Amino acid sequence: MKKNLSKLCIFVFSTIVFFSWTTLYAKEVLIGGAACETGMQAPLDTPGINGAKVAVKYLNDEKGGILGRPVKFVNLDGKSDPVTVGNSALEVIAQGAEFIIAPCDFDFGGPASMAAQDAGIVGMSLCASDPLFSSWSLGDKQFTLSMWNTTMSATAAEFAYNEKGWKTAYVVTDQIIAYTRSLSEYFLVHFDAIGGKILLEDTYTNGDNDFSAQLARLKALDEEPDVIFISSYGIDIALITKTLREAGITAPILGGDSYDDPSVWEALGTKFGSDVYFVTHTWMGSAEGHPDMPEFVKLYTDYHGSAPDTAFVATGWDTVMLFAQAAEIAGTTDGAAVAKALEDNEFNLLTGDLDYSNAADGHYPYKAAALVGLTEGNPSFLGWRNPENPPAP
Amino acid sequence: MFLQYIVDVLSLGSLYALFALGLVLVYGILKLVNFAYGELVLVIGYSIFLLKGSPFPWFFMAGTAIVMSIVFSIFTDYVAFRPVREKSVTAVLITSFAFATLLQNAALLLISAKPKNVPMPSFLSDSVQFLGVITPVRNLISIFVTFLCLIIFYQFMKRSTLGLAMRAAATNFNMTRMLGIPANLVITSAFAMSGLLAGIAGTLWMSKIANVFPGVGLEPLLIAFIATVIGGMRSVHGAVLGGFILAFIDMSFNYLLPQDILKFRDVFTFSIVILILLIRPQGLVKGPATGIRT
Repeated sequence: MKKNLSKLCIFVFSTIVFFSWTTLYAKEVLIGGAACETGMQAPLDTPGINGAKVAVKYLNDEKGGILGRPVKFVNLDGKSDPVTVGNSALEVIAQGAEFIIAPCDFDFGGPASMAAQDAGIVGMSLCASDPLFSSWSLGDKQFTLSMWNTTMSATAAEFAYNEKGWKTAYVVTDQIIAYTRSLSEYFLVHFDAIGGKILLEDTYTNGDNDFSAQLARLKALDEEPDVIFISSYGIDIALITKTLREAGITAPILGGDSYDDPSVWEALGTKFGSDVYFVTHTWMGSAEGHPDMPEFVKLYTDYHGSAPDTAFVATGWDTVMLFAQAAEIAGTTDGAAVAKALEDNEFNLLTGDLDYSNAADGHYPYKAAALVGLTEGNPSFLGWRNPENPPAP
Repeated sequence: MFLQYIVDVLSLGSLYALFALGLVLVYGILKLVNFAYGELVLVIGYSIFLLKGSPFPWFFMAGTAIVMSIVFSIFTDYVAFRPVREKSVTAVLITSFAFATLLQNAALLLISAKPKNVPMPSFLSDSVQFLGVITPVRNLISIFVTFLCLIIFYQFMKRSTLGLAMRAAATNFNMTRMLGIPANLVITSAFAMSGLLAGIAGTLWMSKIANVFPGVGLEPLLIAFIATVIGGMRSVHGAVLGGFILAFIDMSFNYLLPQDILKFRDVFTFSIVILILLIRPQGLVKGPATGIRT
């Protein structure tokens, strides 16, 4: 009898321990990621992941987590492969993720957001800027933290034509992904709309490693363009720029946020890294980008041991903080409620003020763009810009 | 514009030809494709990258990288080929792929997934102008170095004893062995020369792309493989010819295709390759008569 009683005690006790442990465990807010830590997408996603980690630590240490629950971030490498990205997202959702961080691009990030939509939770891309990354194509709970290419291209076009007085342009489009194609497309439309003239359009495919034929076509033009818009991706930006400069073409070079990559600046070096301008998400260098930037840089440096070297780290921090703020407003982590909170409110972020349209209008991100210039391979901030009348997506 | 086109074809073709020659050298003797061949470019790139902070002049770094390429090429023989050479073709196919994957993942784990900048002396990017052509010095150096390498290579194969032994081994390996030529010496020499050629071509390739990343070896391998298939798998002349033809096809499409279909260039390139193979399945240049694997 006594023996049975002690057995019962052990059973009751272990049951209590088990249940309290599982309830404690369930209380944790799991943020799941399918961002790419390897492959061609890694240079854009890894900084975002690093920024997100800092945000999670900050939320736990300073803010008591989200809705009073501790936050945990698990990223499963998407390996720069859309299928793997989708599977990674499914796996973190199976682990109980209540929010999904998708890779920084429609082609790579789309599958993660689709998985999130199917699970009824909010998914947000770190920095996909193609208007394809919208509630139209992915569902009413899907967002991207980035401005769309409409804003990015219009900013570049207005900077060239209105501010610098560059009237003629040569445009190179890398055919690799939707981002590079639509960035050129909107630039062409907007540059033409505000009065500029396109002298020549050419294409290139990432990884070709050879730009000589395009160069010959450019050199065959009667006049040299005032500005060269190169919509490419990764190290190929440096390769194309180098080829142009080596051939004695000195026209300024303009591009999008894929230029915001230290390995591109390093590859350009002091010799080719001048007269290059790009539109990106924010400026990390000083409080000019955002008043809270120095504090973020300090938190980041404490966490990772070195200061951030690209603005993409801020997209990771913002993605997590945006979810935290929206969940606090909604009072729950429920997908529909958080999505509504994101649609109905304005947010002040390191990457600029953000206001989403409702799902019927595609979750259009109303956002300003940061303009950065390179001199001898060193970036400098030229200020925030709001294009007047960006082209329709 | 036409002269510009000629210079572009020659400079690209000379790189392709060197890559193809290095691959066909091993194939000629072993009748086995070395699928770890592209990784020699990876070795070159990371060697120069790792020497970046050192006080040595650039030529020393490039020289060391070429030596590393030779060492890794011989290493490929010892690790991937020699232990399973006597067995099936499939076994060697898998071991050479495995060795390539191993090197790529080592770079991924130990260095980074991100592309790393490979330092290059600035004179390579200076441009020269002649007869209306503007081209970086690098392209002219590529053409010059390749032709120099080809002359030395042909003289070596023609005049030296080792060259004679290698040619004999490529024609009839068993007979060559019976006549007292040490098989392993010939094979190792072939791998060493393959590494040297890949090393020179890889350094020139690096000066063009100026970056190294774990997947950097795939394109050179593909180029070399297609060039040798076009030119003829058993002939060194064929490999060189194939390299130039591939560059000619690629560059012509780059110049001629309209913008909308330029992104499908590879479809056109490979269609022509298939066409060439339908007409001449053995490649453009026919090699020695026997094709028995040793």
